[in-house]
Amino acid sequence: MTLAMGLLLRLGSRNLLRHRRRNALLLAAIAVGIASTVLSNALIRGYQYDMRDDAIDNLNGHLKVVAPGYLDDPSAARAFALTLTPESLLPSGAVTASATRIRVPAVVQSERETRGVELVGIDPADEEFLSFLGSVDIDGKGLAGASDGRLLLGRELAARLDTQLGRRVVVMALGADGRHRELGFRIVGVFDTPGRNQELAYAVTGRDALARQLGVAGVTEISFRLANENALDESRRLLVAALPALQVHDWKSLDPLAAGMFELADASLLIWLSIVLIALGFGLVNALATAVLERAREFGLLRALGMHPRHVLEQVLVESLLVTLAGVLVGTLAGCLFVLLLADGIDLGAWATGAELFGMRQVLVPRLLFGDLVLVLLASFVFASLGSLYPAWRAIATPPLVALQGSRT
Amino acid sequence: MEGCSRAFVAAFGLLVLFLPLSQAWSEEGSSTSDELSNAPDPKQLIAAAIDLTRGTRSYAELSMVIHRPTWERRSSIVAWTRGREDALIRFVAPPRDAGNAMLKTDESMWTFAPQINRVVRLPYSMMSQGWAGSDFSYNDLSRTDQLLKDYDLALVLVSSRDNHQVYRIEATPRDDAAVVWGREDLLLRDDAVVLEHTFLDQALAPVKRLEARAVGTLGGRTFATRIRMTDLESNEHWTEVEYTRADFDVALDDALFTVFSLQSGRAP
Repeated sequence: MTLAMGLLLRLGSRNLLRHRRRNALLLAAIAVGIASTVLSNALIRGYQYDMRDDAIDNLNGHLKVVAPGYLDDPSAARAFALTLTPESLLPSGAVTASATRIRVPAVVQSERETRGVELVGIDPADEEFLSFLGSVDIDGKGLAGASDGRLLLGRELAARLDTQLGRRVVVMALGADGRHRELGFRIVGVFDTPGRNQELAYAVTGRDALARQLGVAGVTEISFRLANENALDESRRLLVAALPALQVHDWKSLDPLAAGMFELADASLLIWLSIVLIALGFGLVNALATAVLERAREFGLLRALGMHPRHVLEQVLVESLLVTLAGVLVGTLAGCLFVLLLADGIDLGAWATGAELFGMRQVLVPRLLFGDLVLVLLASFVFASLGSLYPAWRAIATPPLVALQGSRT
Repeated sequence: MEGCSRAFVAAFGLLVLFLPLSQAWSEEGSSTSDELSNAPDPKQLIAAAIDLTRGTRSYAELSMVIHRPTWERRSSIVAWTRGREDALIRFVAPPRDAGNAMLKTDESMWTFAPQINRVVRLPYSMMSQGWAGSDFSYNDLSRTDQLLKDYDLALVLVSSRDNHQVYRIEATPRDDAAVVWGREDLLLRDDAVVLEHTFLDQALAPVKRLEARAVGTLGGRTFATRIRMTDLESNEHWTEVEYTRADFDVALDDALFTVFSLQSGRAP
């Protein structure tokens, strides 16, 4: 069998070289299909993981602890006191960053405009490795600490309020006692984020300063960024056990739209891969079937000389797998090369408004996963093998004598 | 509808501060350093203007005109007030708006629409906004006390007019004040009557101005019977409120300023 396989490989490769033009076209078709699959796969993965990271960065973290009912009615009255530090709630090394915040709905008013926002009290040091606030570009100054009673606004919000750095705005919010408060803030910084949603959504100040102004004893949420996302369920279990009176949510339940889109991206990847591979399979069947019909006299002669039909079938299979292997390798390399060339990302600035609606960043950076490459390679071989069976069967279905006479079945 | 009502409350609250005026005035003469040094404390002047309406119970009939470059809308209103914080207001014309009513007590505000027979409590965030159709805002009424609490007051000019001293006061909000304005300029007479109130943004550009347009005697008091709030950043945008009847220090049942009263539509 080993000898036979060596012979088959030699025969197969020579046959492929005998029909250079046809096989080069077939190889190119496979390569283009695979390269486009690898590239589109990397782009969809890039979008998918951007969306997940944005959802986690958007003041959610991997896990968040809130009081019961807070998500439905996020008021200062639902604040809770924390006697332990957030880090002590989970095993050491399990948490990359954690933060306690006060977050309430509010209205910001300037001389000419009024906008609804979420008023967020933070400790800026806690946010550094936890949320977008840790890496955001700030025009002006950042907050000096948790007791800094000045305000950060997003650039888009400042523009819509027709206000600017250094100006004063009035923020209206309900205090812990349920009474409404009007708070005067000086804008100390204007932050820029890649999209406009976060710039419009938040007004940020020091956590302890806000607690004093709203009469809040405690915080309204604790966010955790985990070192290992696979430990999410285990970490949630530990938090639920440590804080039985509170609720623990993961980023998927906090941002169900992003979670749904994340899963949809998985499904769309498989659908796209299936479409490309089915098209590839049909192309392969068509090309090989034509080649087999053209070589009917050759197969008839081989069988008349004593070649076993199984070896004829194997020869056709080997030829198709060789060309598929070459095409898949070339296509995969080309796809990886495209991904490398686009490593800095694709600037979607021209379609920023539309892209933002789908939760995309302005720059889409492709992300290549090893598992996806393996899947593409394996699936290509499976489809190529299945696609080769019919032409191979056609090669042995014609009796040798009939084949030598040049007639077709 | 609620915007109309709110605008009216604002107008009404400020209106009672606008006491007798003569015709159009000009600032006659300029102040000397002696006049400025002998002038009363601006804080006392503002406090006196605020005290004019504290504790007053009144009944009034008014008309309101909202003017825009391409249209104008007139409404007729009756109103009862208790002090500076509480008011019940009903629209009586035009027929489309008749029956609509608004109740304001302290920090809360409700509206009633007879067509749907529902009382709706307005969120506090809406109470801070100006109404789209009118040039008044709720803050124009409720924040008068704030001038004493959150502002640095400076008397910058003294002039004479109609046998009264007229003072120009610049009110600059303190840094931590919950105030959006960069400065407010007021013209007050020596009898604590506010003649003009201009709101400037933080670049000190004027944004809107409230001024007395006519004077009359109603309910035994002489005061500005017609005031106009003008949006200084838009052409031909103003809202004018005119008293057609006013009774002061009338006996009003406290039950009048309740949600039940708002919905029942009863008069005292």
